[in-house]
Amino acid sequence: MKSGGSQVLPHLPEAAANAPIVKSAQKRIVGARVRAVKSQVLLLLPAVAVFVLFLGLPMLTVLNESFRTFEPGRIGSVEGAPLTIENYAELFLPVYMRYFSQTYFLAFCASLIAVLIAFPIAYFIARYASSTMRKAAMTLLIGLTFLSALVRVYALQLAFGSVGIFAPIMSALGVNMNGSLYINCVIVVGLLHYSIPMSILILIGAVQQLNPRLTEAAQSLGASALSSHLTVTIPLCIRGLVSAFLVSMTLGISAFIIPWILGRGRVMFISNLIYSRFSEITNYPSGAAISIVMMALSLLLIFIMSRLFTLLDRT
Amino acid sequence: MSVLNLKDITKKYGELAAVDGISLDMERGKVLSLLGPSGCGKTTTLRIIAGFTSPDTGTVEIAGKDVGHLRPYERNVGLLFQDYALFPHMTVAENVAYGMRHRGTPTSEITTRVLRMLSLVQLTGMEARRPHQLSGGQQQRVALARALAIDPQILLLDEPLSALDAKLRLELRLELKEILRSVGATTIVVTHDQEEALTLGDEVVVMNAGKIAQRGTPTQIYEAPADKFVAEFVGRSNWFHASKRSQSTDGLTSYVADDGLEIRTRASRPDSEGGVDLCVRPEDIELVDGTAPESAPSPEHNVLAGVVLDVAPLGADVHVVIELPGKSRLLAIRKNVGRGSEILPGQSVRALFSASDVLVFQR
Repeated sequence: MKSGGSQVLPHLPEAAANAPIVKSAQKRIVGARVRAVKSQVLLLLPAVAVFVLFLGLPMLTVLNESFRTFEPGRIGSVEGAPLTIENYAELFLPVYMRYFSQTYFLAFCASLIAVLIAFPIAYFIARYASSTMRKAAMTLLIGLTFLSALVRVYALQLAFGSVGIFAPIMSALGVNMNGSLYINCVIVVGLLHYSIPMSILILIGAVQQLNPRLTEAAQSLGASALSSHLTVTIPLCIRGLVSAFLVSMTLGISAFIIPWILGRGRVMFISNLIYSRFSEITNYPSGAAISIVMMALSLLLIFIMSRLFTLLDRT
Repeated sequence: MSVLNLKDITKKYGELAAVDGISLDMERGKVLSLLGPSGCGKTTTLRIIAGFTSPDTGTVEIAGKDVGHLRPYERNVGLLFQDYALFPHMTVAENVAYGMRHRGTPTSEITTRVLRMLSLVQLTGMEARRPHQLSGGQQQRVALARALAIDPQILLLDEPLSALDAKLRLELRLELKEILRSVGATTIVVTHDQEEALTLGDEVVVMNAGKIAQRGTPTQIYEAPADKFVAEFVGRSNWFHASKRSQSTDGLTSYVADDGLEIRTRASRPDSEGGVDLCVRPEDIELVDGTAPESAPSPEHNVLAGVVLDVAPLGADVHVVIELPGKSRLLAIRKNVGRGSEILPGQSVRALFSASDVLVFQR
């Protein structure tokens, strides 16, 4: 709308612009433009109001809280408590660093595995599946996201937990089901429950947008099935691959129930740490600081990924 | 020696036979047009040769070797897609080099060959461009250079000019012909455009419903069509249906068309149940003023009187539609020779055409 209005005006010749009729026309155009801008503002107003009131303000109180001094025994910081950066400084202690590295590392592993598993499935659904099969697959994938997190987590626990039905097999194979490696693996599997269906849904779109002739062209030129996918399909799906990875990362690092139950107290994610700060030891300032750092790290991650993406994307 | 040999190729999709028992052989260096309406199986044939579709029955031989079990990338077949399928994430030079790179050509040779290919298609200096920075015609030439760069045994062109606008199509058609001739590539052009097929091909294969209707030189296809389908599909034509033959004298056969018109022809076919179809090409019809005294140039000529319904001057030609007494219509194409010879709608005219220009097809 805006660009449309500004395009109309310069087209009016200088001399003609002085004529009264044209002037009134010009006024009408300007009036229409002002009205258009007004209606655009009106359209955005409810969303802006909701964001400011329910997202912006609460986040500002969290930011404020994170710089307050905490007195043990209290619930949250006291009114007018002195400002401090102690809440942030203590996060550099190795014990805190471990929470962060654990969370980001496991989420990273799960996202990578999810994208690697999801891509061939998405490719198959988008390219070769009949329309009935595609519909069935989509229904199943979307249906999966409705399944409660608790149900999935306890299902995994029942199957692969230390008293699960696979426990005899695992111990026969010599797997230590109480070892932290095993627990980490089970958590990654739990994260995959979310990230695989989500990645498939995202990648189906990416593959559908790709012209199937391109892969055929590559093969007719002598590239094998594998190298035609490596040199043509993957580079042209990079946008979808990056977004599937980012969405999986987001789901992974914000996971709460999965590490809470499957981690059996041995592995905790940042979300669990934040929860315990707020509700178990009521150290609100520390919880707030961790939340802020987590948000900053996530923004940094998105920034790095999008830079990486611009480097990789050549289309 | 034949470069390509197809034997009894059949491919069914469900109940429908897309390709129904096609046999075809091709000599080295020739250009063959595969002409037919959409859905006649020409693209399926192309994909079978390229190896993207495997036939239900029949064999594909390239240079004497059965390639039925070879994957597309194991055959040496160049393919130019209708939408060109240029790799959007690669430059022009990378697109052209792609095939050679995957066939193990040494890097130094690739560079010189890319330049040679681009100069062949007149795109020198465009190496660093991306496909989206090129016009449709330039993209088509990049795709051609890319397909030719691997020095294929057979080059397959799938509707090579259909994505271009009419004027560009005409220019590129001639250019494409020159390039194909200079390279000497054995080529199959799949097209539904008869002009494209007749201009580009040394030989034309007309396909209908999965079968080969006729194979011949462009002249043969046009002047001696094998059946009604070919006559109707290639070029324009006027049709009369006659159920009975009236008489035969001096090697001429007279048929009485359903609308009562008598038409004489040199060609004769044995009578058949459903009668015959008579065909006259519009450019074989001569128009004379209907008010002048009737005089046929020779006893061989058919003379039909009618009234001009519509005159459409289309550049070099003028298309004249005449309504005959039986309400049937006749299209005549005459050269646009300029003033003084205009024919106007409503004018009564006589249409003359020689008996030897009338083609007869059995129903």
